[in-house]
Amino acid sequence: MKLFLREQSPLIVIYLAQLLMITLVYRLDGSSGVNVSLYAGLLSTCLLLAYLAYRYFSNRSFYERLLNLPASLDDSGGPAQSSPLAESLRRLLAHQFRLYQNDLHSYRHKLEEHIHFINQWVHGMKTPLSVIHLIIQGKDGPPFTAIGDELDRLKKGLDTVLYTARLDTFEHDFYVERLELAAVVRGVTSEQKRLFIRKRVFPAITVENGLLITSDEKWLSFVLTQLITNALRYTVEEGRFVHFYGYTGEQGRPVLEVRDEGVGIPPGDLPRVFDAYFTGVNGRSFQESTGMGLYLVKQICGKLGHEVGISSEVEKGTTVRIMF
Amino acid sequence: MFKIFIIEDDRGLVMLLQDYLHKFGYETQAVHDFEAVRMEFEQFAPHLVLLDVNLPKFDGYYWCRQIRGLSTCPILFISAREGKMDQVMALENGADDYITKPFDYEIALAKIKSHLRRAYGSYAGGGTERSLTVAGLMLDVERLVLSRGSAKIDLSHTEAKILDELMQKAGTVVTRDRLLEKIWDDQAFVDDNTLNVYVTRVRKKLSALDIADGLQTVRGQGYRLCENWGEA
Repeated sequence: MKLFLREQSPLIVIYLAQLLMITLVYRLDGSSGVNVSLYAGLLSTCLLLAYLAYRYFSNRSFYERLLNLPASLDDSGGPAQSSPLAESLRRLLAHQFRLYQNDLHSYRHKLEEHIHFINQWVHGMKTPLSVIHLIIQGKDGPPFTAIGDELDRLKKGLDTVLYTARLDTFEHDFYVERLELAAVVRGVTSEQKRLFIRKRVFPAITVENGLLITSDEKWLSFVLTQLITNALRYTVEEGRFVHFYGYTGEQGRPVLEVRDEGVGIPPGDLPRVFDAYFTGVNGRSFQESTGMGLYLVKQICGKLGHEVGISSEVEKGTTVRIMF
Repeated sequence: MFKIFIIEDDRGLVMLLQDYLHKFGYETQAVHDFEAVRMEFEQFAPHLVLLDVNLPKFDGYYWCRQIRGLSTCPILFISAREGKMDQVMALENGADDYITKPFDYEIALAKIKSHLRRAYGSYAGGGTERSLTVAGLMLDVERLVLSRGSAKIDLSHTEAKILDELMQKAGTVVTRDRLLEKIWDDQAFVDDNTLNVYVTRVRKKLSALDIADGLQTVRGQGYRLCENWGEA
């Protein structure tokens, strides 16, 4: 109604001016009295009101449509009424929508192709990686240790790419089951043994006996690997520990705490560590921060229905808590 | 002697696997023609198959079904895909186990051994047992026994692992990192102090076999097993 009145207000103003002018002309001519002019004014105003009412009712849903913005793409489309204006607006919107959809579709297609390509490529890279891995296996000494370290970095990088690409199609790619928390933690720490040994930082695992969680093993292992990589990267002193505490928290929810004894995160950076590409102060002073690790942790835990929290004290260490 | 058929298109990987498996007394053959996998399988008649997923022409799942039509021999997939669904797919197509790339020789060998054992009876045939001999000192990795001449001494698991590594590289330095990595256990991991304890124990066991100074410490690098003892 408001929009309609605003739209029609110039007409109303013009009409009133015209009424005034004509009345004035007749009065100056001296041919008629006040009553006649008033009567004529009333008649023509009635006519105007009737016209406005007709316009309003014939275009009511059109005006409503203009005022209510669509919440999603599915809501879009034109007004339902069949006045000429509504009709052409609907045609315009429908056409625009189709063009837009075509465009969107082609981009979506390109994106899917790209993700598919990335997946293929990462898997393709794993064969040469296995070959190098096999070649240096059983060999010892500085050059081979160095190659092994680089190999670990490549492997980790490829995994991050793979898991990031997969995040969007998460729904097709997970398998939730009952898992023993201690076994999952041990599996991941022993997979990362090279890194632990190289840094001379060791895991300390204290998990309640038979603590069961409901999760996807592959994704959870990836999350833990990220946390361990971080913990080890930011622990500079040798002989420290990364603690894994598994216990039953509030309302019987299993909780896993990963606590390191590293440099910690400054309070100013703490609220943003889960943002993508955020590296913060530590990211600038340590190599290889991509700012993706904790972002992925948060995203994956969100999809698995786990809650993640982080707390940290500079020079004391960082604790990441996963509530299952 | 067990025969293992390798269906994998990466030449480098095939060569390394074949070399390794030959060391443990397996006979191997790799696919030549990826259109005639079925025929080559029938001609070679292997006891076990190692199968990659991504192959030219048809994928591994296809060949797995084909082989299942001919034989019930163990089929182990080797694939870069580590998703649960990929593994389920493999098993549903008739595979027995799944190894993800990149993998360790030991894991591949352990899986091959266990499937052969299950399929053809315990340790039947094939030179799959592992023992090492360095200048008269013999280590039986399977039975955890170290012997020299007629003298024998039992070892713990960890001691055997340390000796295994040292004896394989007798005469050269084995770094502490390497040893730590070898004896890292899922149940209890080992830090530097624990490693020192184990090395001391190994020295004691060696001296029980009349080998003094056989295990030398190389400062800042690691340990070396010197064959400075005579044949008993």
